[in-house]
Amino acid sequence: MGERMFAIERDAQGAVVASGRLDAAEAPKAQAFLDGVSGIVTLDLAALDYVSSAGLGVLLKTQKRLMASGGRLRLVGLSPHLRDIFVYSGFDRLFEIVPAG
Amino acid sequence: METRASRRHLDANDLEAILGVTQKLAAPFDLSTMLTEVVAAAKQVLDAERGSVWLYEADSDELVMEVATGIAPVRIPCGTGLAGACARSRSIINVPDCYADPRFDSRIDRATGYRTRCMLTLPLVDHNNVLVGVMQVLNKRGGAFDADDEALAAALAAQCAVALQRVRMTGALIEGEKMRQALEMAREVQMSTLPVAMPVLDGYDIGTAFRPAELTGGDTYDVSRVDGDVVLVLGDATGHGIAPALSVTQMQAMLRLAFAMGADLATAFVHVNNRLADTLADDRFITAFVGMLDPASHRLRFHSGGQGPILHYVASRDAFDRHGPTSFPLGAMPLASLPAPTELAMAPGDILLVLSDGFYEQVDPDDACFGEARVCEIVRAARNAPSAAIIDALLRGIDAFAAGADQQDDMTAVVVRRAARVEARFARDFASLAALVAFAEDAFARLAIDPSLRTPVDLALEELFTNMVKYGTGSRADVTVAMAAIDGGVEVTMIDRDVAAFDPTRAPPVDVEAPIEARKPGGLGVHLVRRMADSVEYEYNSESRESRITLRYTRHGRAAAGAALGDGGADVRD
Repeated sequence: MGERMFAIERDAQGAVVASGRLDAAEAPKAQAFLDGVSGIVTLDLAALDYVSSAGLGVLLKTQKRLMASGGRLRLVGLSPHLRDIFVYSGFDRLFEIVPAG
Repeated sequence: METRASRRHLDANDLEAILGVTQKLAAPFDLSTMLTEVVAAAKQVLDAERGSVWLYEADSDELVMEVATGIAPVRIPCGTGLAGACARSRSIINVPDCYADPRFDSRIDRATGYRTRCMLTLPLVDHNNVLVGVMQVLNKRGGAFDADDEALAAALAAQCAVALQRVRMTGALIEGEKMRQALEMAREVQMSTLPVAMPVLDGYDIGTAFRPAELTGGDTYDVSRVDGDVVLVLGDATGHGIAPALSVTQMQAMLRLAFAMGADLATAFVHVNNRLADTLADDRFITAFVGMLDPASHRLRFHSGGQGPILHYVASRDAFDRHGPTSFPLGAMPLASLPAPTELAMAPGDILLVLSDGFYEQVDPDDACFGEARVCEIVRAARNAPSAAIIDALLRGIDAFAAGADQQDDMTAVVVRRAARVEARFARDFASLAALVAFAEDAFARLAIDPSLRTPVDLALEELFTNMVKYGTGSRADVTVAMAAIDGGVEVTMIDRDVAAFDPTRAPPVDVEAPIEARKPGGLGVHLVRRMADSVEYEYNSESRESRITLRYTRHGRAAAGAALGDGGADVRD
């Protein structure tokens, strides 16, 4: 498993792309970026290798904030590993998860 | 004139004579005494001048004359001469004038100077109708043998046959018994020198086996501690029987002595070789592996005198390295010097296999050999089991393969396995998380653990370590993390010292169905760890204030179940 540094940025289409490992150490960086988004935000997680509860916490906090003003996160490109984590944590019920297609 | 015997009723005197002889023949004589007695009895009962007995040898289909007064042993093919004709027909042949009978062989007369006039030739057949031999009685005093003599001789011959057969069989049994006892003694000597217990080594386990073949083979092994090192020996002397069993025992004793006296690997090998070259018979030698393991540096060096292949399972590559001999067999000829020994590094999960020929060369009923590929296949499948279990798996595999075919040779094994376990300590600090990830990456590679298990393992390490840092604020102790390869997966152990108990298996459950307003990140980490592991166990030692969490993940377990989600929680005690 190649370990990649965590990165989060907007792509040309305006989607937010997160990649690498989103663990406790990187959670503050992710939080800082997502604190700046609004509305309905597509979050592309295809290149995200790993997420822990710290990363899930960042997503939960962001989702709550966006929903308060009518927005939300749409998650795309979840790998089977990430999907497991979302299902086990019940987060598949809290986010719109766009099936791979 | 050939006649069937016992036409006549025996009179009282004849009967007494025969009973006297019968009683005598019941005594436990050796073969040559018995033959003398039989001939003497026949001469007495039949009033003859001379007598002789031919013994029948079924293997060569020959008659052999073991005893005849004054005549050296003679062999004749069955069927020739009067004796041969009698052996074939199993009937008495009474010849009143030998020189008138074309079957008579006069060479013996010519050699001895004795003149045979008349002769009675009797088959010796025991109760089981087995031909034991042929008795010939020569020159009745005062005439020729008559029908009464034939009847008497037939009765006598039956007794003689039984007595002779008994002696022959007893002799064979005694010979067999002597050989068996000698083999047993050699075997006992061989077995008595094998080590009783294996040295206990941190991070290693060593297994041995010795399965003797029916006939004594010449295998031995030894595992002993010499200072910090462990000496490993396996020897296989050529041939079967007493000599190889004893010579290999001698080799093992000499090696032990050499190492006990401080000899290094090469010195011990050369000296023992040269001593054996002096003392062993010219056509004898011993293939031998002599190795030294330093459990501190994990370096294993060995010399192999014609013993091979030496197989090294390398866990990180999930493959076998195969090493050949470094020298010719011990005792074959004197050695002046040796090349450098073969040296290997024993990494976690690595296995060294030293097996005698008996393993590789075991045949199945069609005479195919068990071979190296099958050995490797079985060892690879059992690689995460202790050495003793690996050897058991090999022996079971061999038995299944042999399917009842005989074991031709001793099977001897020395198997050294370095525990498939890596361990590291981490400072109680969030900054250690990167080191934890690096450790997991390295452990997975070194122990060849299924990479699909990385995500749940990484998650457990992060979540549990983070908890330890957050809640174990009173402790300055490092956190120990160990990973061990298990069948199909990995076992992760985390040890936290000098802390209060925190049992993740009893942490309050997270309601994953709660609406988003009610969801909080707290407790989610432990919840995920429990859901994603095959099993989670927690132990707390209140004296040492030590927490120990043991997690197991396998590729067929929950962690990799993937699609089959939504069924119950992890195997936890809550």
